[in-house]
Amino acid sequence: MELKSFSAETTNQFKDKFQQIENQGFIASTAIIFASVNVELDEISKFLKAHSVQVFGSSSCGEFLYDEQSQILSEEAIVCLLVKYTSPNFRLKSFEGEQKTSFLLGAEIGSWAKSTFVDPAIIIVASGLETDGEQLVKGIQSLAGENITMFGGLAGDDAKFRDTFVFSEGRLLKNGALVMLLDKNDFDVKGIATSGWVGIGADKIITHSEGNVVYTIDDHPALDVYKEYLNVDDKDLPGIGVEYPLLIKKPGKEDVLRAVLNVDREKKSLIFAGTVPQGATVTFSSSPGFEVVEFTRDKVTAFYEKNKHADYLILFSCMARHNALGPMISEEIDQVWENWNIPLIGFFTYGEIGNNYNSMCDFYNETFTLVSIKEK
Amino acid sequence: MQSRIEQLIVKLNELTSCNDFSECKQQFLHELIKVKAEVEKIQFKYERANKEKNILSSLLTRTSIDLKKVTEKLEIRAEELSTLLSTIPAYVYFKDVNLRYMLVNQFFENLVGLKSNEIIGKQVSDIFNGYSNDVYLEKERFVIKSGDAVYNIEEEIERKKSKRWVSTNIAPIFNAENQIVGLIGISWDITERKHNEEELRKAKEQAEAGTFAKNEFIASVSHEFRTPMNGILGLSDIMQNTPLTPEQSDLLKGITVSAENLLVLLNDVLDFSAIEAGKMELEFITFNIKKVFDDINLVTKLKANEKSLEFLIQVDENIPEFLIGDPVRLRQIILNLTNNAIKFTEKGRVVLAVRCIKSEKNKAFLRFEVADTGIGIPPKAISSLFQVFSRVKQEKSKLITGTGLGLSICKKLTDMMDGTIGVESVQGKGSLFWFELPFLVSDSHEIECKITGEESEGVSYTKLVLLAEDNPINQKIAKYNLQKMGFEIEVVSNGEEAIQSYCKRNYDLIIMDIQMPVMNGYQAAKTIREVERNSARHTPIIALTANAMKGDKELYLEAGMDGYLSKPFTFDSLKSVIKSVLNEDF
Repeated sequence: MELKSFSAETTNQFKDKFQQIENQGFIASTAIIFASVNVELDEISKFLKAHSVQVFGSSSCGEFLYDEQSQILSEEAIVCLLVKYTSPNFRLKSFEGEQKTSFLLGAEIGSWAKSTFVDPAIIIVASGLETDGEQLVKGIQSLAGENITMFGGLAGDDAKFRDTFVFSEGRLLKNGALVMLLDKNDFDVKGIATSGWVGIGADKIITHSEGNVVYTIDDHPALDVYKEYLNVDDKDLPGIGVEYPLLIKKPGKEDVLRAVLNVDREKKSLIFAGTVPQGATVTFSSSPGFEVVEFTRDKVTAFYEKNKHADYLILFSCMARHNALGPMISEEIDQVWENWNIPLIGFFTYGEIGNNYNSMCDFYNETFTLVSIKEK
Repeated sequence: MQSRIEQLIVKLNELTSCNDFSECKQQFLHELIKVKAEVEKIQFKYERANKEKNILSSLLTRTSIDLKKVTEKLEIRAEELSTLLSTIPAYVYFKDVNLRYMLVNQFFENLVGLKSNEIIGKQVSDIFNGYSNDVYLEKERFVIKSGDAVYNIEEEIERKKSKRWVSTNIAPIFNAENQIVGLIGISWDITERKHNEEELRKAKEQAEAGTFAKNEFIASVSHEFRTPMNGILGLSDIMQNTPLTPEQSDLLKGITVSAENLLVLLNDVLDFSAIEAGKMELEFITFNIKKVFDDINLVTKLKANEKSLEFLIQVDENIPEFLIGDPVRLRQIILNLTNNAIKFTEKGRVVLAVRCIKSEKNKAFLRFEVADTGIGIPPKAISSLFQVFSRVKQEKSKLITGTGLGLSICKKLTDMMDGTIGVESVQGKGSLFWFELPFLVSDSHEIECKITGEESEGVSYTKLVLLAEDNPINQKIAKYNLQKMGFEIEVVSNGEEAIQSYCKRNYDLIIMDIQMPVMNGYQAAKTIREVERNSARHTPIIALTANAMKGDKELYLEAGMDGYLSKPFTFDSLKSVIKSVLNEDF
């Protein structure tokens, strides 16, 4: 496997830098690109199609690229990792999400994955505001198996909560998913997902919900309860909602966090990044203190100790972590570079997907989800 | 931070005396960037804290409000539970898995006379001195082990020398993980109920004893009555066959009629007490209904003739000949009605009619009617006619005999047979008594009740009969009747003598009174059968007794006797039993 990486601030700068690398004789098979919605994503998509490069792209809430030249966290920019795989056993494919449920979209992906490779690993990005991440994961699992190796994130839009995108070469999707499928016979795909968010307050019951839309909590309109408890103004929503997710208690299982991604002021409902089941017991939750950085660094190092040899790394980190940790966020990410010293590309997301400790895949909010890829 | 700034000042001071200014400048700027980054972080933390302060304090305030509400709710709940526990009129206790008290209510405290803190942590044996009900403890252990509840454990407990009966329900208590952490017991004081039950049981026993005594009394009275009755009737019968003047013959008839009336009375009383005690059981046998009418005709026609009344029997041709039921009781009802009809009719006739009113499958519903042209019954009296001891008051006082039990016996018998009985009457014109009974129609024509048979007088050869009877009058009557049948008689006075005679001679038949001195007939029959057990010899024995209560017959047959006849008997009834026992005509 051969790798080249660069970052750019504008579309033109991106094109120039790409052209330079190509001129040096590096013909990439895949371009992993995370970029701000302010960038002309459509233009980049078409440009790479013209250069016959397959694209795994997503809009972001801030992006980062760590390599030999620089270790930067950027905003409203473009990061790109060009990959030339030795093995031919990888595929990229985009999936339209319009007119279908997130579960059905997932099932389509699961079916394709299982029919392409006997033992596939999925790296996925999906639109951040249209997708119920939990249903997407369940849909994939329904046809690819519960223990499918899968990591990914939901696209962001610089915390504007308007339009998020995923894109391939020549195709820009507002509602859909993009999958990089790797044959596990040729690739090692491993990862971790860690949060650190803490529940606060008394248990509440979700008294009315449908999928990822919550109408009432303890029989009161969900939006009213949320605003009242957090003492926030209408204008703070939905932005603040990513930082103060609900913690869903699952008896006998790991609790999961569900971030608010949108609000319906008319219906006084909250729209979450993943399913919030009716009848579920929930509490409010808060970002951890800055000490969570140390906690994450320890987890990263423990993961590194077991998995030292990798070709490159992708990090899906929740945008709420960035908001909560500010400049300290780099300390979490720096630890990855310090350990492996190999290219690391990633972005701040509206949700993450990963395999947890018991290897079951799940949809998360507020996590630091790191995946390592190695060609065997 | 402080150290970084100090380092920065050092670098700044070094800058003036630096050899390579450019290098030193680079180092200084590098340090400056680091300090800037630190400042940025501090700045962020400060801003973040400011931003979060509002939200977190709101969340915490709300949380404290929520918790307060929850606590209030729990407090109210606890108060309600506490009220419930203290007011529920039962002894309530909670125990841990080691069966130690964890919580008890006020009632429980009052019961044991101890305060809660003196009870908690202790076991039942510590509270109730000398408590040793293993059954109860076993049930508690079962509840802890199985997780199933146990209900209504009744026991008597003693506390401060006062005994109380309690009934207890025990149920397991589970924690959130569904593990059994103890049990709850609820006991009710049932002392009162127990006392009532005991009283009731005693009362019932007494009532039963009373009924038993009554039956015993009736049995013994009936025996006492029957013996002299047997004497009167038997001797009258004998005397009738001796030379008498017409006047003597009339007087003797009077004696016989009176004795017969008395016998009817006696039988009514016996029947009635048997029905009342629920001891009357109906037979369920195949019988020929025409034979029943023949019998009735024979008896009733004579009586009717005596009063110059016409007696007619009208039997519907559709009536099945063979029915299943109790012919004896059927005859009793009909006779009762025909006798009444004759009794209350001075001229005209009495008609017995029977017809089939409904038949389905193997069932026939028969309607019997007894119509007379007698004095009739006043309308007011009709409604109470079938009640016990009901007698119609006659304006012109006439000598009407009877116990007043007759119709009430008829009513009870028809009820027992799932039938109905009634009467229509016009005063001065006559009465019509009717009853309707269902019978099963018999497929087989085999008659279980053998009341038929050709009669013939005399015995072809002289048979030897041993008569065991202690009463001299009864000896005479029996001997007279047996001789009349052509038997050779040998008489003994008790059971022991009977056995001795039995051992000496080979008798064709033994007629055994039951109540005799020295050894009773029952014992004697049993002994004879014991003797015969290992031989081919079987001497027929007929029990002849005034013990006419239900169950007597079975008892005697069980003892090995072959036949049974109750006193007082007639020549015909004695002959009939002997014939069936010897299984031959004579």
